[in-house]
Amino acid sequence: MALRLSTKRLMKELKDIQEKGTPAGIIPLSTESVDEWVFLICVLGDETIYKGEQFALRLIFSDRYPIDCPQVTFIADDQYQPPLHPHVYSNGHICASIFGNEWSPVLTAVSICITMQSMLASNKKKERYV
Amino acid sequence: MDLNHPLLASAVDLLPPFPSSHPQIQRLDRSLYCQICKELFSGPVSIPCGHSFCSRCIRGSLEVMKKCPSCNEPASEGSIRRNRALEEIVDSWEEARPIIHGLTSNNSRKRSIMNTGPKNAFAAESTKRPRKESTSRSVSPVKQSSDKKEEIDGDADDMIALDPYTNMAESSEDVKASCPLCDITMPIRDISRHIDLGCQPIKPRPKSQGRENLKADWKKVFSGAGLVKGKDVELKKITKPNYSLATPAELRSVLQSYNLSTFGDKPALAHRVQEWILLYNSNLDTSHPKSLGALRAKLNEAEASRRRDKEKGREEMASELKTSDGLARYAQDTKGEFERLRREIMERDKKRVGSGAEAPIEIE
Repeated sequence: MALRLSTKRLMKELKDIQEKGTPAGIIPLSTESVDEWVFLICVLGDETIYKGEQFALRLIFSDRYPIDCPQVTFIADDQYQPPLHPHVYSNGHICASIFGNEWSPVLTAVSICITMQSMLASNKKKERYV
Repeated sequence: MDLNHPLLASAVDLLPPFPSSHPQIQRLDRSLYCQICKELFSGPVSIPCGHSFCSRCIRGSLEVMKKCPSCNEPASEGSIRRNRALEEIVDSWEEARPIIHGLTSNNSRKRSIMNTGPKNAFAAESTKRPRKESTSRSVSPVKQSSDKKEEIDGDADDMIALDPYTNMAESSEDVKASCPLCDITMPIRDISRHIDLGCQPIKPRPKSQGRENLKADWKKVFSGAGLVKGKDVELKKITKPNYSLATPAELRSVLQSYNLSTFGDKPALAHRVQEWILLYNSNLDTSHPKSLGALRAKLNEAEASRRRDKEKGREEMASELKTSDGLARYAQDTKGEFERLRREIMERDKKRVGSGAEAPIEIE
């Protein structure tokens, strides 16, 4: 069976992660299913307000990926809590432009993680609106 | 993460990466990949900002948003232009890639074969073509006589040194030399024509090009037969219908004219038309177009796999919730979330009640 475009692209990304690894502070946790991946994200450095904390980011890919944006949330369960951040809701939903009209098909799972990491790193105040 | 993912085994067609000891070649390789599908360009096209993608990828992306995926500059489907130079580069890179990959990955092997002398190298070459490293400094005799593809010879300028052993065996007609202008190696008899044409690659002439042939060719020119393009009608791109205005019957007639299934309600029809136009139009942007039959098969396969996924997902969920075990597990999984929400609402209510009780006192 010919693989779907989305599956093919995800396999490519997975292979890339296998060969080159992920950037510091981003740890692939599970890719048991092809279309649902979980990454652990920590913010490195001494200046961050999230020092020592770990967050789990779940990415769910539709079969229109990469044309359509994956569904990205922080996991909120007994083990993991979403970060305290003005753009992250208590249920783990994230308000970020790249998951809306700024999404571009050239972005990858790893680049999403990097974006989230830098979003956390640039935050100076732990607060939550919703 | 399970890095030995079972699905990775199905992705055997992934090209092997270059070792990090050759960053320049890695970069060259990387630059020939489409940023959307992350594969070698297939039917590459350019948009006004100068970025290039596979025709199918960018058409799919522009349907969703009218801007370049790389730089966000506005772009529309009408501004897509074929990038023939890039296509030629990718085609020749695809051919050269295994050779260069062999060169970069086992240098030690190369040395040992080089030491055995040109005759042995020739033997190794003729049996296993991708093992080009054995005679990288000389043009392969097999290649010279059988497949005269200039692009292979052309992309390595260190190949012009001819192997003396092979030259002697060849007839004078097949002797090769490099073009004085662009250094591409080709049969001597083709060089003057090549220069006349501004250093374009020359296609090998048919062997039996006699007087009759020439006569027939001239006849064609004078009668104007060469100007008629018979396939012009078939090569037109399909214009997109307005999906919100088109009636199901109109969509069906579009599908019918391409021998496609007309089954389903309007959204299904519109989706099929949309996907077909995407496949069809992007197929016109490549030098290796697929047959309409192959495109049809592709469309059907995509639709069938989507249907399978949908059914599978629904079945799994349904069977999971049917068993009491599954129900319990689902409840367990979502219990934390439920509890937390309940607590938050309780607290919120308490606060509201508290402030509500204070407010009237203040007014009084």
